[in-house]
Amino acid sequence: MLTRRHLGLAAAAVLLAGGGATAQTGPVIGQPAPDFSAQDADGRTRSLKQYRGKTVVLEWTNHDCPYVKKHYSGNMQALQREATKDGVVWLSIVSSAPGQQGHITGEQAKQLTASRKGSPTAVLLDPSGAVGRLYGAKTTPHMFVINAQGRLVYAGGIDDVPSNKVEDLERAKPLVKLALADVKAGRAVAVPASKPYGCAVKYKP
Amino acid sequence: MGAPVRGRRPGVADYEIRLADSGIRRARGKQPLLNEPVHQGPALLNRSDRREFRLSGAAPVRRLPVGLRAVAAAVTGALALFGGAAAARAEIVRTPYVEAELAPDVAAAAPGGTVHVALRQKIKPGWHTYWRNPGDSGEPTRLAWTLPQGWSAGEIVWPTPERQPVGPLVNYGYSNQVLLPVPIRVPADARPGQTVRLAAVADWLVCEEICIPEQVKLTLDLPVAAGPAAPHPQHGAAVRQALAAAPKPGVLTGVAALAGGRLKLAVLGAPARGDGAARAYFFPYDGALIDHAKPQGIERGPAGLTLTMVPGYGAQTGAVTGPVQGVLSFGEGEAYLVEASVGSLPAQAAGLGAPGAGGRSGLGLPLALGFAFLGGLILNLMPCVFPVLSMKAAALAGHAHEPRTARVQGLAFLAGVLTTFLGLAAALLVARAAGETAGWGFQLQSPPVIAGLALLMLLIALNLSGVFHLGESVQGVGSGLSGRGGAAGAFFTGVLAVAVAAPCTAPFMAAAMGYAVVQPTAVALSVFAALGLGLAAPFVLVSFTPTLLRRLPRPGAWMETLQRLLAFPMYATAAWLAWIFARQTGVAGLAELFAAAWLVALAAWLFGRSQHSGRPLPFRIGASAAALLAVAWLGVAALGAPGGGKAESAALAAEAYTPERLAALRAEGRPVFVNFTADWCVTCKVNERVALSSAEVGRAFERTGVVYLKADWTNRDPVIAAALSEHGRAGVPLYLLYSPGADQPRILPQLLTTGAVIKALEEATPST
Repeated sequence: MLTRRHLGLAAAAVLLAGGGATAQTGPVIGQPAPDFSAQDADGRTRSLKQYRGKTVVLEWTNHDCPYVKKHYSGNMQALQREATKDGVVWLSIVSSAPGQQGHITGEQAKQLTASRKGSPTAVLLDPSGAVGRLYGAKTTPHMFVINAQGRLVYAGGIDDVPSNKVEDLERAKPLVKLALADVKAGRAVAVPASKPYGCAVKYKP
Repeated sequence: MGAPVRGRRPGVADYEIRLADSGIRRARGKQPLLNEPVHQGPALLNRSDRREFRLSGAAPVRRLPVGLRAVAAAVTGALALFGGAAAARAEIVRTPYVEAELAPDVAAAAPGGTVHVALRQKIKPGWHTYWRNPGDSGEPTRLAWTLPQGWSAGEIVWPTPERQPVGPLVNYGYSNQVLLPVPIRVPADARPGQTVRLAAVADWLVCEEICIPEQVKLTLDLPVAAGPAAPHPQHGAAVRQALAAAPKPGVLTGVAALAGGRLKLAVLGAPARGDGAARAYFFPYDGALIDHAKPQGIERGPAGLTLTMVPGYGAQTGAVTGPVQGVLSFGEGEAYLVEASVGSLPAQAAGLGAPGAGGRSGLGLPLALGFAFLGGLILNLMPCVFPVLSMKAAALAGHAHEPRTARVQGLAFLAGVLTTFLGLAAALLVARAAGETAGWGFQLQSPPVIAGLALLMLLIALNLSGVFHLGESVQGVGSGLSGRGGAAGAFFTGVLAVAVAAPCTAPFMAAAMGYAVVQPTAVALSVFAALGLGLAAPFVLVSFTPTLLRRLPRPGAWMETLQRLLAFPMYATAAWLAWIFARQTGVAGLAELFAAAWLVALAAWLFGRSQHSGRPLPFRIGASAAALLAVAWLGVAALGAPGGGKAESAALAAEAYTPERLAALRAEGRPVFVNFTADWCVTCKVNERVALSSAEVGRAFERTGVVYLKADWTNRDPVIAAALSEHGRAGVPLYLLYSPGADQPRILPQLLTTGAVIKALEEATPST
């Protein structure tokens, strides 16, 4: 039996043609959002699963990215404030690898939150990029909204005007804000996906 | 006046540079123009200091030598054409990462004409600016023009971008130097002799690992001159080169379709048939259309090519709405604009597999030839071939003392095998070229061929049973099918061996066949020839080796027993073919086939009687009549036989395969096993009996939650053929196992064992 199995494997090795390569594939709108866990700024492990029953926002961020700065001119903080007041869990995730732009320690994360007057539920540190790759996070910012049932209901840009200019905020359709309003009202999210824009996530090369 | 070198007011220029890197700040002001190269803002390179970057470091510079060069050109006579007109002059603006200016194609604008003014960006090495669709991140360069009354600017004529990987992402952009030409209409009432100022605010994002948004104000003073002006002495050639190299419209036509979780773009036109096809890459205008980081699959066709792309987020929420627009690049500067409607894909743009190295199987020619030969050798042992060949070999033993006769027979057999194989190959390649999705065993998808084969098997069986004899010298029972010493008989045996081999796929064959059908004709034929050589090799070897021949048992009465015995595998084969025919055409078709078989048997018996009778004529007439009737009956049966009547009886519950179902299951994150099979494929059926139908495997499927999809290729099916070709195959069986989250399936071996399947299932599913 063992030899037969080995024979089969040998044959598989001969006949296998380029199979098995894995690549990051993002989660699918309407499907369960993949679970993950990561350490927050205090070194505590947080997982997506623990927030089942609540709406969760994932925000990929890099404080040195011009697009992130545009939104931290007040827009992002306002969104975080409104969302968390509504009981939404807001997780800011930093997938910048050590030595890359935007990489921060837990202490720096706390300072940033304080200096920017942000109010995320937690800042999660993902220096290995595992969570970012799991979600196919491409840019900073790149936003995901997960409903109380753990399903992904929005993925994409924070709004629909891909620019780094603060003045463009006025004419942009605030897609994440609208998605959260739809979720709160129990409606299907009207625009469940958009093209994320911003700086590339600075993954470990 | 001449070139206004020193006459120009050396005053101040407006500039505006944004450096969002240091927060969104904006600086605006009047600064004395500098003649020196600007300070390069080293602070920006040092991340910790970046916020302290001084805006003064990025002051724009007017480059006076532009005028000086114009003077030099005038001296050499190049400016003679526009005589007294002023030369176009632009200012070069340098940011720490980009040197930019407006570069016109002509030295002066003609009233009523069009000038092309390009934004020239010289980008710091290692840094990039972006195409109109920047890819996964980034932002395209933008120009906002301020033009004199009556002048108007068109859209940027974007050069073909580069693919720029950033970790797991891919951006589309430019490096080193790029010219972005913009057509500018000159009003008919522009006054010759006048110089106008064209101004543009250029916004771009320039990135290396980090990204810096920059904004500069650029101006170009352009003289107006009557009549066509000479090319701009400095930029004319480069701008025209950029325009000439821009993707060409109107050459390619395209159709796009979303199928099986993939976005397919079929492109027809001469360039898509050329050598560049191997480098084909589609840059879509719409950033939501495809996943930029995923490779694009290329399949060639007789009239074009088809690209298979992973859709972008847009496909998650709905269908693709046309038209699909973008640039199809063939590398080396060759690129075309594509505007594809959404519709059904033209067959002529696919079917010939991947360009170059033979599909994804990636076999080289030597390996493919080796595999084909080995596959041919193994075919000898397959149940459909073995009885025919073993009888022939046994008959050959009778010629052990006549080496010459034996050799002639060996060669005749070889010729028969090769002729038939090459004929089949040629038919297959012709079918492929005509846009059919054909593969190994394709002839078995035709019910008339199955019926014909079933009757042939019946005839062989009847012959082996001694009902009638073949061969020129009928010397009583014992010689049978093999005939006696007939080269023609040996040739026929060769033909027969290939005909009966078709339902069997030997190990190694599929990879070689998959390689062959996507190759140029000569290569494909040589692979088929290697398969034929493999099939013929044992027989030829025996016929050329008297020592071997002498070791074979001498023909004698025992052969009759063996012959009668071997008739039974052939009856079984005929019955099995009849079953396939029934699956293809339904029970009514089967009745017709049985009637034809009954007539064939009657004809065979009458013919056999004629061989023994003193008065053969009546028997022969009867035999011919019965045979004719059988053929006629078969014709009627086959013509009236639509596909259908297929019932599923597999022990293991399988869902029918569709690309959509597969995509949906994969999207749900479920592991999926796809069995590409056909009723006429013996190997497939054996695998299903031996491995897939066992209780152990059934339990493994249940335990691992792997969904079993069955792609049944018994009848022609272009969707399944396309899926096979996607994996570099031209025939069944093919077993794919998709793990959750994996991009590519694992391909299981062609001979399955219970253990191997269970192991693979377990490996495909992370223990939960």
